Amino acid sequence: MFEKILIANRGEIALRIIRSAQELDIKAVAIYEETDKDAFHIMRADEAICIGPGPRKDYLDIDKIIEAAKKTGAEAIHPGYGFLAENPEFPEACIEAGLVFIGPPHEVIRSLGSKVIARDIARNSDIPVIPATETLSAGEAANEEALAFAAEYGFPIMIKAVSGGGGRGIRQVDDERSLLAGLKQSRSEALMAFGNDDIYLEKCLSRPQHIEVQILADSFGNVVHLGTRNCSIQRRHQKLIEIAPAGLPKELTAEICDAAVRVAKASNYQSAGTVEFLVEPDGRFYFLEVNTRIQVEHTVTEMVTGIDIVREQLLIAMGEPISFSQKAVVERGYAIELRINAEDPKNEFLATPGVVQVYQSSAGHGVRLDGAIYQGYEIPPFYDSMMVKLTVYGFTWQEAVDRLSRALSGFIIIGVKTTIPFFQQIVNEPDFIQMKFDTSYLDTHPQLLDYEEKEREVDKIARLIAEINAYGYNPYAQ
Amino acid sequence: MPLEAILDTLRNSEGYYLCNNERDVSQSDFKNRLMPMTTVRVAPYREKASFFSIEVSGGASIHVDLLRKQVNPFERLRIVSRAMPQTLLQTVCRGANLFGYRHYPENVIRFTVREFCRYVDVWRVYDFLNHVPNMIPVFEEVQKAGRILMPSICFSTGKEHTDSYYVGKVAEILEVTGPEVIISIKNHSGLGTPRRISQLVEAIKNSFPETILHYHGCNTDGNDIGRMTAAVLAGVKICDVADHGYGSVYGQAPALTLIQTLEDYGKKVEAMDLEALVKCSDILRQERKIYEPFESQFRGHDPTVARYKLTGGAAGSTFEQADKGGFLQRMPEILEEMARVLVELGNWWSVTPGSQILWTTAVNNVLYGRYQRPSLDLKNLILGRYGPFPFYEPHDWICEKVLEYQRPDGKKWHEIMATEGGMVPPAEPDLEGERTKLQRELKRPVSDEDLVLYLQYPFDALSFLRFEERCGKTWLLPPEVWFRRGGFKAGERIKFADEWGKPHYIEVISTRREGANVLTSLLVDHVFHTISVKVEGADSHSAPQ
Repeated sequence: MFEKILIANRGEIALRIIRSAQELDIKAVAIYEETDKDAFHIMRADEAICIGPGPRKDYLDIDKIIEAAKKTGAEAIHPGYGFLAENPEFPEACIEAGLVFIGPPHEVIRSLGSKVIARDIARNSDIPVIPATETLSAGEAANEEALAFAAEYGFPIMIKAVSGGGGRGIRQVDDERSLLAGLKQSRSEALMAFGNDDIYLEKCLSRPQHIEVQILADSFGNVVHLGTRNCSIQRRHQKLIEIAPAGLPKELTAEICDAAVRVAKASNYQSAGTVEFLVEPDGRFYFLEVNTRIQVEHTVTEMVTGIDIVREQLLIAMGEPISFSQKAVVERGYAIELRINAEDPKNEFLATPGVVQVYQSSAGHGVRLDGAIYQGYEIPPFYDSMMVKLTVYGFTWQEAVDRLSRALSGFIIIGVKTTIPFFQQIVNEPDFIQMKFDTSYLDTHPQLLDYEEKEREVDKIARLIAEINAYGYNPYAQ
Repeated sequence: MPLEAILDTLRNSEGYYLCNNERDVSQSDFKNRLMPMTTVRVAPYREKASFFSIEVSGGASIHVDLLRKQVNPFERLRIVSRAMPQTLLQTVCRGANLFGYRHYPENVIRFTVREFCRYVDVWRVYDFLNHVPNMIPVFEEVQKAGRILMPSICFSTGKEHTDSYYVGKVAEILEVTGPEVIISIKNHSGLGTPRRISQLVEAIKNSFPETILHYHGCNTDGNDIGRMTAAVLAGVKICDVADHGYGSVYGQAPALTLIQTLEDYGKKVEAMDLEALVKCSDILRQERKIYEPFESQFRGHDPTVARYKLTGGAAGSTFEQADKGGFLQRMPEILEEMARVLVELGNWWSVTPGSQILWTTAVNNVLYGRYQRPSLDLKNLILGRYGPFPFYEPHDWICEKVLEYQRPDGKKWHEIMATEGGMVPPAEPDLEGERTKLQRELKRPVSDEDLVLYLQYPFDALSFLRFEERCGKTWLLPPEVWFRRGGFKAGERIKFADEWGKPHYIEVISTRREGANVLTSLLVDHVFHTISVKVEGADSHSAPQ
């Protein structure tokens, strides 16, 4: 059993990991950058250590994090998601330093991190993959390869970074001209984002659903799946709302889950991971990629299965077998998760950092909050804008939607613009209510951005009270 | 109850009914400042008292709602209607002037009346020149909506004001409206003796025995009880009254006094719960102190009103203007001049907008010399833009002074009269175009009610609608908070309920100043806020440094 672990992350996921660690009586060490010194995760950790002035670069500095772990006596490091979570050099460095990396082995991260290798693994496991090229050649040859692929499969086509993830490094092109222009742009973006400018092309499917399977694998060769999630509601390939289970027919669900387990086994997977698929309206499905980390949306799976995925990650990292069998995994009801961000949806979802003057969270039956803020907290402009992750559970889909609507209206957040009014639009939208959505949902429902931000009526009246108080008389009654 | 049934009940009743004219009392004695929450507080008792109707709308009240009380006049009607579902709601409308001070285009008049007809049951309609054509569009829309029409004859005194003149006016009205109306006698300044009113009522009843009559008077001279008593004994079926705890000088006389007086003559008020009536005043006496700053500069009855004939509804505001203008001490002189001007200009009725013309002319005459600074409205009056003079036209020397004043083309007054005189119907605006204009200003869809307000008072309605978007339904606040002077103390808790009764609390935690900004920290329904207000001209604010 670990006595102390270090969490190489910040925000809500750091808090999430701290909670599971503390439940196992493991001390949790937080790291932080100087620019993040007021972050909530620091307050909840047993210990905290500053790793540099920031912003962002120190959270990506493997050496500093290893040094912090050694200095604090941590035996293992949990990477969370983002930052170094899918960088194979990080687990390698951990091993060299005598620390346990709470995640898959570096070889697995490296091979599954390559979209091309991951597709090979899937193909070899008899799992359909979306028609795609190999990694495109360098220079002018790539243009010819791309045009040949377009001639064979037609448009639209996705240009993808081999090392991409989290929706980054993906571009859809609809004609030859944008294809050729997109190759250059994608290479340069991939180099900037991932340090690797390798790209490949993939046939773009028409209005598929984005489905993923949560898996857990231990060092004894046991692999279990925890059912499906539907992450089709996306904005520019970034997930906005995630749902468990995915709502697919039973047989199709079984096929997809089985495929996910086969991929995990074929790649010698360990720890928690997610196998992602695209599912066409006729039920044909294709392997997309494997995310070799805990994901933001793991909470929906936890809500419908009751299984603490992070706890299992910790146990697996300590050499324990998965604590339950596949048979014991039962999904009940529906869970929906969304991210309440400090963003202005009406302004291209631009981040709106600032001071959270008022924060009152929602609560009640079936409502789970994984938050990263508190009243008075100044959201720094350097990191992602998530304030709190809201997950709701309902015994039926309708109950989950109703609860989501109720939970959203239970928040009072003043000081920064948030995504709440946008989500309130979605929960009242008839297609969403009927669980009819695919990856084109936001494009086909542009009216969702046409909302008015509602202020509490009592707050408006309070404004007048402040004016009467300031002037010493009511300027509107004269 | 259907319209015909209501009119039959009135026609066949042995006794008489009362209309609580809260609107006129508020306008005449409290500069129209009565807030909706006071009306709501007293509503259950007024409802129990069983008035025939309550006048809560019309006159200047609609403009003041937007200007000084920041309440939507339609919403006010909805509030009162919810609070008093069994009582008919009444308005007073200035014919073609609607609730304003100028003739509105006909499509605006009809649209406005249709919208207000959704809430207003009884329409008291008048024209300050008793020019019936000015009232016809309102008559038609009210009758189309199935509401109770109460066409008014404006009453005054003098040798021209004979019974036969008024009976002729009633005939002219009934010819347009038919018999299913209530004819109202509008005695705007409380003129005439009880005997004079009795004669007038008898004259009308003799010519139109089936006609239901209503009497509206003011108590400026202190004798409206006498006039109402005489009116009821002569056959009037409804009188406008006030609560004794709230009515004052220039508005209506107290209901209970009238009831007690008429009882001695064997006339019973119909369906009135006297205990509830007394309770209304018990409540209003407590409320009254909130409105004390708005009471008239001159208090006490004034029998000399018979000479200057200033309408009750204009009394408070004219005295206030005199005070603000620094000529309050010259009021006796001005009132004397009013009496002269009224006779010189045609001895018509000193009611809106005529009362404003008389007042301005009298003030200017006293301050700058007789007819030396005529107003544009006076010019329009002499040109006949409001309608024909009912009895005689002003002397030529007045027409000359007024019409030739600041005339750049040097035209003589009779030329001006010949080429520009007479009524000119205002051009009808494109209502949808106006709606688009307002939508552009507000950046939101515009309701018919918003548009009606905008058409009446474009600038003030826009300011109000913007205020409401920013500060919400502030009429929910207790009136003592709305009219607060001196800011709030730390720890002070403001309690109020929303329109459905849900309670809210705003607690003032602290006040501090940062440069030109005053920061007020509040607990708003238990949520902490700090609101910063930039105070222009820092002298006025009360916050500590």
